[in-house]
Amino acid sequence: MNTLYQFVAGPLLWIAFALFIGGSLYKVINLILLTQKKEAYLFCFLSWKWSLRSILHWLTPFGPRNMKLHPAMTVVTFIFHICLLLTPVFLLSHLILLEESINISWWALPDQVADIMTLLIIGACIFFLVRRINSPEVRYVTSASDFVLLAIVAAPFVTGFWAYHQWAGYQPAMILHIVTGEIMLVAIPFTRLSHMLFAVFTRAYIGSEFGGVRHAKDW
Amino acid sequence: MKNGILIMFAVLLISVITFATASSQEDVSYIDTSSFGKTVRGMVPFEHDEHNDNAGLEDCNICHHVYEDGIFMEDESSEDQMCSECHDEDSSGDKPPLRTAFHKNCKGCHLESKAGPVMCGSCHEKN
Repeated sequence: MNTLYQFVAGPLLWIAFALFIGGSLYKVINLILLTQKKEAYLFCFLSWKWSLRSILHWLTPFGPRNMKLHPAMTVVTFIFHICLLLTPVFLLSHLILLEESINISWWALPDQVADIMTLLIIGACIFFLVRRINSPEVRYVTSASDFVLLAIVAAPFVTGFWAYHQWAGYQPAMILHIVTGEIMLVAIPFTRLSHMLFAVFTRAYIGSEFGGVRHAKDW
Repeated sequence: MKNGILIMFAVLLISVITFATASSQEDVSYIDTSSFGKTVRGMVPFEHDEHNDNAGLEDCNICHHVYEDGIFMEDESSEDQMCSECHDEDSSGDKPPLRTAFHKNCKGCHLESKAGPVMCGSCHEKN
């Protein structure tokens, strides 16, 4: 188990981070270059003002009309995204490993809080799953890959929760936690999880067109 | 004759009990974390002699090391000191802070020797 741990927490981790960072940079640069090549007119009306107006509206809970129409989804998705970003970055165990490895560390969440946030994430994943299956308009645009992506996102948190509580099979759970975390990192630039990188560009594009050209709201 | 056997048995019993209690008092059964203000994770069980027998450790200073100006002192050891006498909870530079010092001393060696626990919950008891 030590050799396996050393591999997944060593070389495999660095490969995952390299693919995540390198892949993200490639995707963003490629997006900008492609836009320049194919839709260069966009730069005529792209504006900070309209971009930020759109981004801020879509970052405000119940700001856009669509969020008011789906209150449960709005609450769940905000809680989910906030917890998803904060929990891994401010988890004490992660920071301890980081400090031991490259001597960098920062403020950590209390373990009990991180535990509750993890449960909220898992709960939200179940909500998204049920919604995909039960809601006709969502089911209509759902393919198998949506379930795979949901599993990729849920897996590191389920295994992390399992490992933190040191239930039966602690060691395999820990190995699975590391591997599924790495899969998720790599999946971010190369799957639809890339909305993590592209969301601001999408809103800037639409916000600028609606604000500066159509003189309409985009929310 | 019967009395003799009884006395021998009693002596044996008493010595076994005395020895067992004495040796269990001698062995450290948990890593001493009293230097930490407040601990987050569970205690770490540790049988000093058993660990060293299993690991084949004979030199005390493999764990109870002494560093001077970042150089490991081969002929010196620090088993009469607490780790916290050198490692502060927030020391920096070459000298790792207390928590990192504990982790690196144990886990570092376990990784290097490919033996012994390396995952958080393999040492720390469940909270």
